[in-house]
Amino acid sequence: MSNSRSSVFDGLLRENTVLSSLLVISPVIMCGDTLRNAEALVYAFSVITFFSVMIASFVPKKLPYAVKIIIYAVISSLIYIPVRIVTQEYFPGIVARIGIYFPLLAVNSLIVVQTETKFFRMKKLKMTFSLIFSILGFDAVMLLTAVIRELLAYGTINSKVVDMHTLISGLGMPFGGFIFLGLMCGLYRKIRSMAGYEDNKVRSEENVSGN
Amino acid sequence: MLKEKRNERQIWLDMIITLLTLEVMAYFYYGLRAAFLAGVCAAVSAAAEFICLRLMHKDFTADDLTCTSDALIIALMLPAVMNYRIAAIACVFAVTAAKNIFGGRNNMIFSPAAAAYVFMMTSWRAQLLQFTEPHVKTGLFENAGNLVSSASHSFKVTGKLNYTDIELLMGNFSGPVGAVSILLLLVAAAILIFRRDISAGAFIGCMGGILFLAYFVPMASTPWLSVKYTLVTNMNLFASIYIVSDKRIAPKRNYYAFFYGLLIGAVSYILVLTTVKENPIVMVSVLFTPAALAFKNLEKRIELAKAEQEENEKAAEQEANKEAEEESQDYELNAETDEEALLPEVSEEEAAEPDSFLYELLSETEENEEPAYGIDTAEIIPEAEEFLYISEDETEEILTGNTEETAGQESENTEHSETDEAESDEENALNKEADEDE
Repeated sequence: MSNSRSSVFDGLLRENTVLSSLLVISPVIMCGDTLRNAEALVYAFSVITFFSVMIASFVPKKLPYAVKIIIYAVISSLIYIPVRIVTQEYFPGIVARIGIYFPLLAVNSLIVVQTETKFFRMKKLKMTFSLIFSILGFDAVMLLTAVIRELLAYGTINSKVVDMHTLISGLGMPFGGFIFLGLMCGLYRKIRSMAGYEDNKVRSEENVSGN
Repeated sequence: MLKEKRNERQIWLDMIITLLTLEVMAYFYYGLRAAFLAGVCAAVSAAAEFICLRLMHKDFTADDLTCTSDALIIALMLPAVMNYRIAAIACVFAVTAAKNIFGGRNNMIFSPAAAAYVFMMTSWRAQLLQFTEPHVKTGLFENAGNLVSSASHSFKVTGKLNYTDIELLMGNFSGPVGAVSILLLLVAAAILIFRRDISAGAFIGCMGGILFLAYFVPMASTPWLSVKYTLVTNMNLFASIYIVSDKRIAPKRNYYAFFYGLLIGAVSYILVLTTVKENPIVMVSVLFTPAALAFKNLEKRIELAKAEQEENEKAAEQEANKEAEEESQDYELNAETDEEALLPEVSEEEAAEPDSFLYELLSETEENEEPAYGIDTAEIIPEAEEFLYISEDETEEILTGNTEETAGQESENTEHSETDEAESDEENALNKEADEDE
C-alpha cells in the first residue's frame, strides 16, 4: 500500500518532473522569470497535459508506437487551441511574450514520452493520480522559480514592487535561469539524498531482519 | 603529488604577491576604499569556499585559500567605488556557481573571476563601467560622485587618448583599479612567466593576436598608436595575465596554449573593433573554455598514445631479449649435448687426468689424419693448440711426463710448499702469542 501511494506522489516530490527527471525545463528557464508568465504557463501546461493524457489513454495499445505518438500529438494540439484562446483572454500579452515556448507545451515530454513509459502501464485510477501529481510537481517548481527570479531580478512579485536593495538582473535572463535551475536541482538532490539515507537505512535493516 | 601541491601553493603565492602590488597601486590612486573592497572580496570568497566545502563534506585546507587570489582578481577588475554588496555577490557566484558546482579547484572549467565578471556585466553593467578619476578618494561608506566612463570607452569613441606615455604606464587614467597599472602589469607578467606561474604560450598568443590585429587593422590614426592604446585599454593586459593564461584553465603545452590565446586575443580585438563592448576579452575567455577543454583532451590523448607506444616498445624489446636469451640457451644446450654425444666414455681416472685424454685425442688424430671423434681439439682446450704445434720430441717428453722442466718445477713446488708451510707455522705461532698477550 505504501509503495503504491509513494509511486502516485512520486511526480510531486521523489521523482519531480523538472528537478529530478529534468523534463519540460525549457519553459521554466526561458519563461519562468515572472510570476505572471508562470501562471499562464502553469494553466496551459496543466490543462493540455491532463486532458491529452487522459484522452490518449483510450487509444488502442495494439497500434504501432509511431502511430500512437502521432495520435497523442494530434489530441494535444486540438486541446491547445481552446487553451490558447482562454489564455489570451485571461493573460493578455503573455502568449506573445512567451513566444514559441507556449505552443511547444502541446508536445511536452509528459505527453510524448511519459505516457508510454509510465502512465499507460498503470491502472486508470492510479494513472490519474500519478498524472495529477506529476503536473503539480511541474507547477510547483515553475511558480517557485518564477517568484524567486522575479524578486531577485526585477525587485517585484506579481508585478508589485518590493523594496530590494540589490537586484541581480542577470537572473531574469536565460543564462540566469539555467544557473538558478541548476542550483535548485542541486538543492533538491541534496534534500532527497538526506531523505533517501533514512529510507536506505530502513531498507537495510529490513534486509538484515529478513535474512 | 607533493610536488604538484607545492607547485600549486607556489603559484598561488606568486600570484598573490603580484596582485597585492597592484592593490597597493590602487590604494595610492583611489585610497582606502579600493583596499577595503579587496578585503571584502577575499573574506566573502573564503567564507563561501568554506561553506561549499562543508556542504560537500570536505575539509577546508590551506590549499583552498587559492580562492582569495580569484577574489583579488575580481576586486582589481572593479571600479574603486563599486557597491560592496555587488562585489560580495560576484564573489559568491565565482566560488559556488563557477567553481564548486563543477567539482572545486581541481576540476575548474571557467576562470571563476572571469565568470563572475560576466555575471556582473549582465546584472550591474552601469555600476561596473562607471569609474572615478585617479586621485579622487571616496570614503569607505560614501556614495561616489563625479563618475566618468573609462579610458577604454573614450578610446573606442574618439580613437585617441589624452594621456602622456608616463601616465599610461603608471596607470594614471580612469579604469578598473588594477587593470590600468601597465608598468606593474608588465613586470608581473615577466615575473610570472619566468617563474612558470602562468601559461607563457597563452599569454604570448593572446597579446600577439591583439597587437598583431591592432597594428594591421588600427583603431587609432597610426598603427603604433593603435598598438599602444590597445595594450593599455579594455583590460587586455590584465586579462591576458590573470585570466587567459591561468594555468588551471589554459592547455598545458605552450604550443596549444599559444593557439588558445591567439583565438581569444583575435576574437576580442574584433569585438572591440566592431561593437561597442567594453572589456570583451573577459567574456571571450569564458566563451572559449570549450576550446581549452578540447585542447586539454587532445593533450591527454597524445600523452596516452605516447605512453602506450612506449609500453609497446618496451614490451617488444623485452620479448626480443627473451627470445635472444632463449635462443642462446638452446644453442648452448644443443652444443653441449652434441659434444657430450660425440665424446667417448671417460673413466673417472681418465677424467682426473686430462693430459691422458688429450694424448689419446692427439694420437688418434695423428694416426687417422682426421679429428678424433669429430672434435677439433683446438676448440675444446685452447692449450691443445700448443700441443698440436709442438715438435715430436717435445710431445714425447710431455707424454712421458719426464721433462727436465717438469722435474725442476716439481722440485721447486715441493720446496715452495715446504717453505710456505714453515711460514704459515711461524705466522700461527706469532698469532697465538699475540692472542695470549691480549
